[in-house]
Amino acid sequence: MTAIFAIVKRLLASDKISFILTALVVLCATSSGEVVLSNGNYTWLLAVLTPFFFVFYDFTKLMHLGASKKDYFFGCLISYVFLAFCISLVNTVVHLLIDPLYPARTVINLMDVCKWTENGIAVAGLQQMVFLLLAMVFLHVLLSMQAHWYGWVTDAVLVAIICIFTPIASLRGILAGFFQLIMLNGNAALHIGICLLLSAALSFVGLVVLKRKTL
Amino acid sequence: MIELKQVTKQYGQATVLKNITLTVDEPGIYCLLGRNGAGKTTLLKSIAGYQNITSGTIQVDGKPITTSTLDTGVSYIENFAKHFNLPVRKLLRIASEVNPNYDYDFASEMMERFELDGKKKFNHLSLGMKTMVSTIICLASNKEVILLDEPVLGFDAIMRVEFYDMLTESFQKHPRIIIVSTHIIEEIAKTIQKLIIIDKGSVRFFDTLQSVETKAFRVSGLQKAVEAATRGLHVIGQDTVGGLVTSYIFDNPPEQAASLEIHPLSLQDFFIQMVGHKGGAAR
Repeated sequence: MTAIFAIVKRLLASDKISFILTALVVLCATSSGEVVLSNGNYTWLLAVLTPFFFVFYDFTKLMHLGASKKDYFFGCLISYVFLAFCISLVNTVVHLLIDPLYPARTVINLMDVCKWTENGIAVAGLQQMVFLLLAMVFLHVLLSMQAHWYGWVTDAVLVAIICIFTPIASLRGILAGFFQLIMLNGNAALHIGICLLLSAALSFVGLVVLKRKTL
Repeated sequence: MIELKQVTKQYGQATVLKNITLTVDEPGIYCLLGRNGAGKTTLLKSIAGYQNITSGTIQVDGKPITTSTLDTGVSYIENFAKHFNLPVRKLLRIASEVNPNYDYDFASEMMERFELDGKKKFNHLSLGMKTMVSTIICLASNKEVILLDEPVLGFDAIMRVEFYDMLTESFQKHPRIIIVSTHIIEEIAKTIQKLIIIDKGSVRFFDTLQSVETKAFRVSGLQKAVEAATRGLHVIGQDTVGGLVTSYIFDNPPEQAASLEIHPLSLQDFFIQMVGHKGGAAR
């Protein structure tokens, strides 16, 4: 476990650029008009940036320091859970404390858009956390595959799904249904269950990809 | 123990390792010799599980090694290994945290001995110093198999001598299998126990250094006398200049005769005879 936590520490420490960029955007982003975007939304940027560093920057270096693939895998998972928790906590706090400071305006926070706040703020935070975990694990797996032919095939399939499913009404319904399930879902138990299940499945795929990874 | 059975590695149409069967079963410092492109790095990377082989099997301590092996028990370092751009001391400390059996005291001692500035960031080090940091991390990991791919690249003469001493000390402290690939043959001879020579993807020689010292000879003289003296012996090469012939043998030395000159082969000459010759044509 010591080795795994040492990897977690290193992964988070080498993710400085993501932290700085996210902090800058969160602090500097401004909206005008009657409807404004909550600055807390921009904390999600950290979830998008982090997998790039874990996959493309940290993996080789950790291997050269003598870390095992097993420890790297668990280190990444723990880091994603921790980051998902932190991002969710910050956005929840922003939603509770900062968003009400705009009394005359409508403040849009993704926690409201996704209907998570219907279940109370604590559950909403948990829903946000599992969704962010899913997003980070998905990105990690997708980025890990880019060095292989099947990564490019996956990219092409994803683009094809979006391009084909969006213009055709019946298929668009399926696509919308999927996003309603994993994101715009007011049913907390179902949402948390689905996100955890998909995260676990994607982690398994990530493990398979990691096992094929060369240096 | 490292066990390779009929290991073949192909990159497209090119076969880099050809049906290699090799067992390294005793702890020791082994030297892997081979010309550029002989397949040394591919062999070491395959043993480390950094890449997959095309066919055959590799086992380390009975555990099959492929890229799927999540914990190989092998430490491999190449000379251009990338590390976090952190101060050297911090890098060594992180390595100790991610390696369960890491010998931090050994790593610190080596850092002092090689006068590595612990505060200097990795990217600010010279090539030789970077290689030294990688080598220290690899040796201090205390894994059962240590693979060093051209570790002396970029070292000056003093650093090389220090490196060979470090290798010996590390082995004495923790006997295990250490394989070092290098081109500087004569220098490492005092440090190693066994020699592995590979050429064009095949193992040409795997034996102790003593066997080279006792069996590798150069026999020179007139053609008829040399042919008569080396008949039935394992001739690994031959040179002809005018009527004089020099045969290189790896066998018991022939009877000394007035018409013959018999000299032991240096390790470098033995290697040259085993893998081919000026211009590259194997004989």
